[in-house]
Amino acid sequence: MAQEIFSALPMRTWRWLGVNEALLPKELRQPEALAEGPEQASGGSRGEITKAEDAACTKKLNTACRTIHVPAGETMEAVVVYRKEQLTEIQADVAEGGTLNLVCVQMVPADSAYAGSVTVTAGRNAKICYTAVEAGSSHTVTKLQIDLAGEGSIADVSAVYFGDKERRIDMNYVISQIGKHTDANMQVRGALQDASDKIFRGTLDFRRGSKGSTGREREEVILLDEGVRNRSVPLMMSGEDEVTGHHAVSAGRMNPDRLFYLMSRGMDEKEAQKLLVQAMFSPVLDRIPDAGLREEVAGSIEERITDGRS
Amino acid sequence: MEQKKTFVEDIERTLYDIRNEDHSVYKTERGLTEDIIRDISRQKQDPGWMLDFRLKSLEQYHQIPLPVWGPDISELNMDEIVTYVRPGGKMAENWQEVPEEIKDTFDRLGIPKAEQTSLAGVGAQYDSEVVYHRVQKELSDRGVIYTDFETAVREYEDIVKEYFMKLVPPKDHKFTALHGAVWSGGSFVYVPEGVHVEIPLQSYFRLNAAGAGQFEHTLIICEKNSSLHFIEGCSAPRYNVTNLHAGCVELYVKEGARLRYSTIENWSRNMMNLNTKRALVEKDGLIEWVSGSFGSHISCLYPASILHGENARCEFTGVTFASKGQNLDTGATVVMMAPHTSANINTRTISKSGGAATYRSAVKVTKAARGAKCMVNCESLMLDEESRSDTLPVMDIETDDVEIGHEAKVGRISDEAIFYLTSRGIDEEEAQAMIVRGFVEPIAKSLPLEYAVEMNNLINLELVGSMG
Repeated sequence: MAQEIFSALPMRTWRWLGVNEALLPKELRQPEALAEGPEQASGGSRGEITKAEDAACTKKLNTACRTIHVPAGETMEAVVVYRKEQLTEIQADVAEGGTLNLVCVQMVPADSAYAGSVTVTAGRNAKICYTAVEAGSSHTVTKLQIDLAGEGSIADVSAVYFGDKERRIDMNYVISQIGKHTDANMQVRGALQDASDKIFRGTLDFRRGSKGSTGREREEVILLDEGVRNRSVPLMMSGEDEVTGHHAVSAGRMNPDRLFYLMSRGMDEKEAQKLLVQAMFSPVLDRIPDAGLREEVAGSIEERITDGRS
Repeated sequence: MEQKKTFVEDIERTLYDIRNEDHSVYKTERGLTEDIIRDISRQKQDPGWMLDFRLKSLEQYHQIPLPVWGPDISELNMDEIVTYVRPGGKMAENWQEVPEEIKDTFDRLGIPKAEQTSLAGVGAQYDSEVVYHRVQKELSDRGVIYTDFETAVREYEDIVKEYFMKLVPPKDHKFTALHGAVWSGGSFVYVPEGVHVEIPLQSYFRLNAAGAGQFEHTLIICEKNSSLHFIEGCSAPRYNVTNLHAGCVELYVKEGARLRYSTIENWSRNMMNLNTKRALVEKDGLIEWVSGSFGSHISCLYPASILHGENARCEFTGVTFASKGQNLDTGATVVMMAPHTSANINTRTISKSGGAATYRSAVKVTKAARGAKCMVNCESLMLDEESRSDTLPVMDIETDDVEIGHEAKVGRISDEAIFYLTSRGIDEEEAQAMIVRGFVEPIAKSLPLEYAVEMNNLINLELVGSMG
């Protein structure tokens, strides 16, 4: 059964909470589904890689193997949109002084499951900016592992998720701070409505020797309906004293003062809620470089907020 | 440049480490078999239902696997643990009747003195049996019952039968099953409706015998609109063999009642402290936990509050200090099951000299708990690079109308803070001492004065601005 465990919490806790591991969605355990993975993507249907604007840092990326190598001192941008792929994997390494700006947008159809894995290793003074949007699929499991291996390496992770209907979302993000003077920032925002069920595990792991490192993690989740289930697991592990780590989670309904303000300006409740969710998501969505894609994602979420609550 | 580090002394243990010769009059064989359970039950003259309960728990103990999370407890060998040790003498209501050596121990721990100055009742357990129990007459006149658990089973059998291990059933986990099988000693408190016990009651548990286990059962029932402050203290001298503490605490806080349960735990560093504590809080009731974990080799301790009635509240304040050879896995569990329940969890952990401290918690908000609020704040201070500090909270929310907040920090004493204070003319050692004292302040201030002093003694913050 071990192969069915897709990702695991770095430190186990009480079983009754159901957060120790994420299983691969049933339909993806079939051999057919597995075979679909990379080939489909290389067919290039929708996996897009855009070149960075900056002339000095352009590198073509191969979507088929989905390995990204950023050479020393270079900057690379990769935007990957999943519209059909149900099993995806990205392995990236960023060499000394390099920067990778990786954006993954998952908009798999609402009736399919999705499992995605991203692994990044950052060398000395390297920077990884990772943006994820989990907006599609009926059952999403994702994992992110970033190793800040080199001294002075930086991870800047920003993600949004939107859950509606019976959607299940399970995310497991881990940033391991291994080198000295690393910095990690993990900002996750989400909204849940209808009967959606979500688990977000976010770990900052300060390894022994990561002197001078800092890390921040924050998850904000807005709960829009009575039927939702939200599980948040912010983990902080530390084997080094010379670090500063901070994590925070807040979960609840929308700020009633803000809602009231907007409604007093003539908006109905749904419009006001929609606007507030958009406002919450926009700092993350703004990191999508392509305006068309950005609008498409925002529009799809906006549409569903109305849908779900009509 | 070598960084200067605050040096915090280990907890001063001399007082606790004085061990007495083992003059017990009766001990069971080592290990755990049906014969041993029957033997304990016979020694305690249990009623028939209690023997059945013990045997059923033993069966469950054999079926339940060890937990797969948390500190490694594989070094615990139940075949080596003596589950029942009866000290000499009978239970007394007068310290003069307590055997000299045992009385000396409690004298050193300051229990008889505290009883005179600041407590309304005291229970003192030595190994498996309660050796002293007394409550102020004024309280018993008002219907307050405070007695050792064996007396409770005999004299208040109906109440005990109704509540005993109903909140913490033996099947909960391996060590509650063990407790159900071999429990011995502990306290029973009953506070009638509307009675406020203004002065705290205290039970002190002392484990003297080497290689033994202590399995005391504490059951407190606070009827409607009553209030109580109960203090639990624990210590043991150090041995080279593993001792085990698997006590069980069940607290019933009825409508509008308030209960404060304070613990200063300072077991020796050969102790496995696998204790289970749980409170059931009804409408408008309040449970306050104050929990200081300083001792033991391994601890797994997560007092649980089940907020069962509307507006039920929980306040949890905890401090954990893990030093060399210690792995202290502590935290809290809150289950919110009714509208407008609220919980506040506030913890501080310190780790040094290779000690490992874990904050582990679970906050569960069920569908019925509309309007629930929960705030968690945990801060961890690491005093050197050999130590570990982990924070593992889980929030599980099943409705939308909630306000849940969680915040945690980890780090060491900041250079800026030291710099600021020294720039104000405070010398560096004093500056460091101030910061560490400030760090545990939220906990110290929730303790009654005498215990705040005891905690300060425990931490014994002798700060020397030296070495890393």
